[in-house]
Amino acid sequence: MKIKPIILDTIQTKHTNYYVDIKVDSNVILITGDSGEGKSAVFSFLQELSTEDNRIKCFNYIDYNKRYKNSIKTSKGKLFVIDNADILLDDNIRKYIATDTQNQYILIGRNPTGLFLTQDNIYELVSSYNNGKVIFTLKKAF
Amino acid sequence: MITVYKKNNIPKDKKIIKLNDVYFNTKTSDLLDSRAEDIISVIDKTKIINKYTIASQFDGTNLNIDKLSTGCKTALNILYNPEVIFDIAECGDNALDVIYSFDVGSVYCDYPMISINMAGVRTYEEDDFRVIKDYDDLKEWWMNEN
Repeated sequence: MKIKPIILDTIQTKHTNYYVDIKVDSNVILITGDSGEGKSAVFSFLQELSTEDNRIKCFNYIDYNKRYKNSIKTSKGKLFVIDNADILLDDNIRKYIATDTQNQYILIGRNPTGLFLTQDNIYELVSSYNNGKVIFTLKKAF
Repeated sequence: MITVYKKNNIPKDKKIIKLNDVYFNTKTSDLLDSRAEDIISVIDKTKIINKYTIASQFDGTNLNIDKLSTGCKTALNILYNPEVIFDIAECGDNALDVIYSFDVGSVYCDYPMISINMAGVRTYEEDDFRVIKDYDDLKEWWMNEN
């Protein structure tokens, strides 16, 4: 399923010498790839950005026993960034996310089951190092 | 070889650790020795500076060891705690390759998570262990809910 992003199609932020410059063209995307590529680091930078932009809400394993599913189901106009998605998202919430037209999602994980994603919705993280700056961008995985 | 457990087939006296980050940060991080160096080097492409410090693979700055990837932490959890079953759902292919090369360790996932380079594993089902050496056979066993 491909719906254009309803909250943000470009997200830029910085954390000391780490820069995030990501562009997405779908309302629900999955960021996947090998371990150790910086996915959780980027999550932490977006979490920091969420302190300044209240459209962004971030969840990861720290929220495992909290009411994050309720937060997703009762929100409108939010961009949810969810790390550890393979652990946090069960079948029911995956189904909800797949059909949610009120919020946008950036999911970090490996398992696309139940999200009705196509290959076009799946991205990988790319990092580059230049003059002391580490820059994270996205590319299509397929 | 590692032992693989699947859904609805966990011994009653065992529990599954799903939150590998938490287990690593609170327990495994204290156990690391020289065996961890190769694993960290292969999966996260970085090196240990001292017991609780690694170099960032991106810019070389020193980081607390809690900044290792979840896949790398999972591999280390499995290696240092072979009596505990760890969920490998969050492991990338590079971490799976390392985990499937271990002599010991216990892993779990709701669905097949298999290294393409696997040589053999021990599977557990209904109080019985069986050795599987073929990728497709393991996938079929994993997907069979009976």
